[in-house]
Amino acid sequence: MLAVENLRVVYHDVISVLNGISLTVNQGENLIIIGANGAGKTTLLRAISGMIEFYDGDIIDGDVKVEGASVKGIDATAVMRKHRLTYVMEDRPVFWYLTIEENLKAAAYCRWDGGVKADIEQALDHFPVLRRLGHRTAGYLSGGEQQMLAIAMALMTKPRILLLDEPSLGLAPRVVEELFEIIRRLHKGGLTVVLVEQNAHAALSIGTRGYVMETGRVVLEGSARELLANEDVREFYLGSGEGERKSYRDAKRYKRRKRWL
Amino acid sequence: MMMDLLQALGSGILVGMVYALLGLGVVIVFRASEAFNFAVGEFLVVGAFLFLVFNSALRLPILVALPLALLAAGAVGGLIERLTIKPLLGRNPISMTIVTLGLANVLRSLVQLVFGAHTYPFELRLPDIKLEIGDLLFLSEALWAAMLSLATFGLVILFLFRTRWGVAIRATSESQAKALAFGIDAGFILFLVWMVSAVCIAISGIVISNFGSLSYVTGIVGLRAIPVVLIGGMDSIGGALVGGIVVGVCEALVGAYIEPRGLIGFKEVAPYILLLIVLIFRPYGLFGTVRIERV
Repeated sequence: MLAVENLRVVYHDVISVLNGISLTVNQGENLIIIGANGAGKTTLLRAISGMIEFYDGDIIDGDVKVEGASVKGIDATAVMRKHRLTYVMEDRPVFWYLTIEENLKAAAYCRWDGGVKADIEQALDHFPVLRRLGHRTAGYLSGGEQQMLAIAMALMTKPRILLLDEPSLGLAPRVVEELFEIIRRLHKGGLTVVLVEQNAHAALSIGTRGYVMETGRVVLEGSARELLANEDVREFYLGSGEGERKSYRDAKRYKRRKRWL
Repeated sequence: MMMDLLQALGSGILVGMVYALLGLGVVIVFRASEAFNFAVGEFLVVGAFLFLVFNSALRLPILVALPLALLAAGAVGGLIERLTIKPLLGRNPISMTIVTLGLANVLRSLVQLVFGAHTYPFELRLPDIKLEIGDLLFLSEALWAAMLSLATFGLVILFLFRTRWGVAIRATSESQAKALAFGIDAGFILFLVWMVSAVCIAISGIVISNFGSLSYVTGIVGLRAIPVVLIGGMDSIGGALVGGIVVGVCEALVGAYIEPRGLIGFKEVAPYILLLIVLIFRPYGLFGTVRIERV
């Protein structure tokens, strides 16, 4: 459904962030991408969604294909409208000065069908907490409520592929649990999800397959279950490796090993 | 004495409404792009000249000439945005602001080239509605100017708060990146904002010129937008209304009480002094959003 082929991205013509990354997303998957800060996860989502140029980034090599059609060089709104691919940016991308309902309306801007009102009702049914808050301005919502609103806004675009960039960032564990349950439900409902997360354990628990990224490349891939069981992933991303704590030499050896992957 | 005060306050409020509309034109562009449109005076002159062309040169009745002039002014605003602002989308807003400085010079020269440096008589030929209450007299031009400005202000607010484009404009004003991510074409929204802004400023230009005459230097009135939006708050629509009225009243009071004591021309300076005082106590203006930045 979605294929990233040998993608290389630079910012401001000099800062290389993605260095030939390739991955695929199959229809109906809940694909998890994990990696440390600076691995290029957000840049990858920007490149897929067509937002990269807005951030002064350029795809200098490779391609991004949605259902076989290249979306390289196409702007974000066109990618979204044509392929119904919605990117929920990190840090709760709601419009702070708009009310909950106005946020939902703004997200439905690209739609001209008559179903927007009904879909707002449906979104509020899906997230009862938002209905309870009525006409409150989004800036006054809690972090969890804002993130729920962001996902509700994404649903207003009627996506077929949903790209989520670190939705759990800065949220309390209980809220994260609730949020991931919502994402799991959306995926079960047939939505293809690409979830970029640092909260590797929570993400892999609800994912079908995953990739581990480092320095702009994929260094590991496998089913979510495999990744959860992988010793390196457990050690470096889940912080729950078995046995003794790894020495610096072990860590270095692990990094050298990844380079060959 | 009391009558003088009431006369000054009333006249100030009426003129203030026009300044408020002028400020609104600047504020909506600032909210959408964080750029200050320094070409506001030139937009004002272009709008007024467009009306003059349709009304006086082509001899169209006001009910036809006014909508045509506003459509043309909107088109000019949109065209300017496409040519000069759109290529800077996503860049530092300072770049856009600098572009508007250059744009002001280009537009002023173009107006001078087309219409020369003459002063043109300007008259809207609207029904006389002058108001006399005892010793108070409010001229028909001032009343029409205030009414047209207030009506336009109201329509723009309805547009911004009640239509899908209005919601999209407010969303894009907050964050172009977020808007793009949700499928809002920030480029088109910016285009729309410049059109609406150009129409607002054109109406101000037309009603201001209706006080007497029009020439390429009429654009100097556009400078009033600076104290208006800085006093009201650069990103506040309500602030534009309050700022406009404050500046109008300030001018009128200075004109009534200080200028007759020999300080000729102080009326022009007074809003800027008031602006400095306001900024000392409220750096973001009366209603501007206080920005909290992490350092």
